[in-house]
Amino acid sequence: MLKKDLLELCLLQLLAGGDKYGYEVLAPLRTAFPDTQESAIYALLRGLGKSGLTSWYMAPGGGGPDRKYYRLTPEGRARLEELRADWRNMRDAIASFGVE
Amino acid sequence: MMKQQKPLTKEQYLKKFSRAVRWRLPPQESEEAIADYRELIFQPERDESRLVEELGEPVQAAHLLTDVKAYRRWLKIFAVLAFGLFLLAKWAWMGHSSFYFSFADQWWYPVWVMAVGLALSLYWFRRYGQKNGPLSKRLVLALVVVLAFGAGTMAWNWYVFDSSFLDSYVERYPLIIPWQVILQRELIINGGMICALIALAGLILAKCYDRRWLALYTLAVTVAAVCGFIIFFCRSIDIGYAVRSSAQSYLFARLIPIGAAGLIGTGVALC
Repeated sequence: MLKKDLLELCLLQLLAGGDKYGYEVLAPLRTAFPDTQESAIYALLRGLGKSGLTSWYMAPGGGGPDRKYYRLTPEGRARLEELRADWRNMRDAIASFGVE
Repeated sequence: MMKQQKPLTKEQYLKKFSRAVRWRLPPQESEEAIADYRELIFQPERDESRLVEELGEPVQAAHLLTDVKAYRRWLKIFAVLAFGLFLLAKWAWMGHSSFYFSFADQWWYPVWVMAVGLALSLYWFRRYGQKNGPLSKRLVLALVVVLAFGAGTMAWNWYVFDSSFLDSYVERYPLIIPWQVILQRELIINGGMICALIALAGLILAKCYDRRWLALYTLAVTVAAVCGFIIFFCRSIDIGYAVRSSAQSYLFARLIPIGAAGLIGTGVALC
């Protein structure tokens, strides 16, 4: 799995927990991957939308202007399962070498 | 050693990002990305002093959203069209030169540049460009100004190339150059260069905002080509009696179809 796939997995996992607006998605991922800038994560999020894995809608944001909320599509859920399986396989493979 | 990042305000960041993304992405996609970045940047939690650190340099952020293949294709098209405009401006500038000789086939050089520019730009923008909202009033105003200038230049050349005017000019030349000729010369030289610049602006605006700005490119490039054609014509003719009597009809029999082709191109660009 490449770092991009790991980011994608985390991003889809975040959205699996409920619809979120851009900053809610980007900020925790930047904290988890400090050497990755938000623009790179945003580009990935945008790419997921183009591939039909996520969709978006506008909704009122806490007292301010409307925010763009992202949600997972059924295709996105399928892709999340695929990435989870890849991640488990990789984790087991690494563990077989004695890496904790 | 890490490159020191420039501190940017939220407004400055968004402005730089908008400029970069509009140049690289199709209009609708760039507007979407700008709206998303506006939301991300103006979050109350966002620390302005760490903006570049968190989001990356604005141009780099735009680069990450770029479809590299499509962007390179656009850069190639832009280079060809911009080179054509450079040639038109150069030919207009040559009107200042004291070397008064050129060959008849050179008259058509500006028209070839115009033909290639129109065909290439219309093909590209109708295939890859996007309309964005209602027709801009600024575009309409710019078109009216360029059209009025083009029509005025044509009318003035009609007057200057009239055989009776040319006869009276020859009688006085070289002692006095009539003001009408000086004005005609200034109109086609400066007009040709300015229209090449306006066409360049139209091209950039068509890419960044709305493909209908291409109408400004097509109209301005037509006027610049007409000016170039007249410059080459003036530099090559020997004002003998036979030329004086037929110059106007000869010139306008060619200028009118060129102008009509440019107007059709402008209409197509607006649709």
